[in-house]
Amino acid sequence: MILTRLATAWALFQGLLIEALPFLLIGVLISAGARWFAPGGRWLRRLPSHPLLGPLTGAALGFALPACECGNVPVARRMLSGGAPLGAGLGFLFAAPVLNPIVIASTWAAFPDQPWLLLARPLGAVVVAVGLALLLGLVGEPQLLQADLLAERRLHQPLAAVGLLERSSGLVGAPPPSALSAEAAPVRPPLAELMKHASQEFLYLSLLLVMGSVIAALVQSFVPRSWLLAVGGAPTLSILALMLLALVVSVCSSVDAFLALSFAAQVTPGALLAFLLLGPVIDLKLVSLLGLLFRPRGLVLTTAGAALMVLLIGQWVNLWRL
Amino acid sequence: MIPPLLQRATLWRAASLGLWALVLLVSSVDGRLDLLLRAVFHPLVALAGLLLLLVALLQLRLAFGAGRGERGDRRQARTLLLTAAIALLVLLQPPAPSFADLAGQRPRDETAESELSFVLPPAQRSLTDWVRLLRSQPDPKLFAGDPVRISGFVLPMEGEPPQLARLLVRCCLADASPVGLPVHWPAGQAPFPADQWLAIDGVMGLRPGPGGGERLEVVPSRIRPIPRPARPLEP
Repeated sequence: MILTRLATAWALFQGLLIEALPFLLIGVLISAGARWFAPGGRWLRRLPSHPLLGPLTGAALGFALPACECGNVPVARRMLSGGAPLGAGLGFLFAAPVLNPIVIASTWAAFPDQPWLLLARPLGAVVVAVGLALLLGLVGEPQLLQADLLAERRLHQPLAAVGLLERSSGLVGAPPPSALSAEAAPVRPPLAELMKHASQEFLYLSLLLVMGSVIAALVQSFVPRSWLLAVGGAPTLSILALMLLALVVSVCSSVDAFLALSFAAQVTPGALLAFLLLGPVIDLKLVSLLGLLFRPRGLVLTTAGAALMVLLIGQWVNLWRL
Repeated sequence: MIPPLLQRATLWRAASLGLWALVLLVSSVDGRLDLLLRAVFHPLVALAGLLLLLVALLQLRLAFGAGRGERGDRRQARTLLLTAAIALLVLLQPPAPSFADLAGQRPRDETAESELSFVLPPAQRSLTDWVRLLRSQPDPKLFAGDPVRISGFVLPMEGEPPQLARLLVRCCLADASPVGLPVHWPAGQAPFPADQWLAIDGVMGLRPGPGGGERLEVVPSRIRPIPRPARPLEP
């Protein structure tokens, strides 16, 4: 029995992993392409740093990246390390997995008879992204971002925004590589260097993806899904259950609407929307990937903040639609 | 003492990328994807495999050219070794899921079907076609006596005889949800084990359901055990 279950978990793991790897590769390639076409990434630093406009601009960039959340992580990391305002980077990270043409089209294809969902999903994703960007913005960057990302970011931020003492290199520490210096003319990295960086990033992210997929596959195999859907009709419990399901199932945002379709008839509308909003922000497969960007405090805040906002949105929708 | 050749980080990177490329490419040709992913994703996986292979080959070229001097640090070496080992494991250990076990963990697919725009003749309907048709036309009397030729795996049910089932997949095996048809198994026949794939010829018959009332069941005239089909998942 246990061996059968483990064999099934192994297949689930492979399914999750093999489905996500192409999207991860797309993200890494876009990130490498941005380094090649816009060396120095000055355009990133020109993105608005206004607390509202920043996340909204970042979210709007999602239309340029038709990939799911796994592909977004390397691109968001590139944005943040390139010195983009924190709000813009986070807005992109959290909203782009929903605000892209493929996800909107798949939501429409899955629920053609529910136009409210087509509007509520992108709108809800923007609200959650702006809320999370504001929340995480309250934490200082050193407490929020991983040390290596922060060090790279400091090199790209203008001196007006970052004190010399906050840089771990430059005038205070070791001399910065000329290609990374914010003040130097941008130099296109050699192709070999670019490929090395992209390869290393892909391999490291694939390792994190493996960890997330193992956890998601084990939880899916050993926790019957009927437990989560048993409370389908109760307004609040159904939202919480579907949020938990979104965390566990860990499918990409480009296809999660089709999965939601299979149980849409059993759950409240608020729960359905909660499932479609929370999964693209955080799930078991994604949590290790996000660990590349955030320190544990950032991860906890992201999870708690997203859960709370999605719960409130779901409750509001249930009041409106039930 | 590690030979200098094995200290080259580019070589390890090429090997790891090459192994992941092999995972994707081998999965695309050995039928593994048919067991894991919906067909619409298969070209994407193959394309990603080709791209990774190209990058791996370029890294390999670097390993013996301009990048021969690059030595990885300890953390980098650990990542490269671990990711290569995992890729090798995935490559060598293909998936062998139990569909019945998976289906037992999942709620039934409850997709609400509107009027079906096209209905196949009865004997050409697959198990999934039958389930969708019965959901859109809930009056069972309309189909009593229709010929049935379906295949699926044996799915044990709690408190009632096993059904013949299929798994519907929207993306990958992780989102699979089962659909099944009740079967009026011949009396006196030893029960088929869970997961056994069967091809059944017969007719639709009206039988008393477990909750009272009548329901449609497949009444087999011939049952044949068959191997798992090459494409066992249904969209």
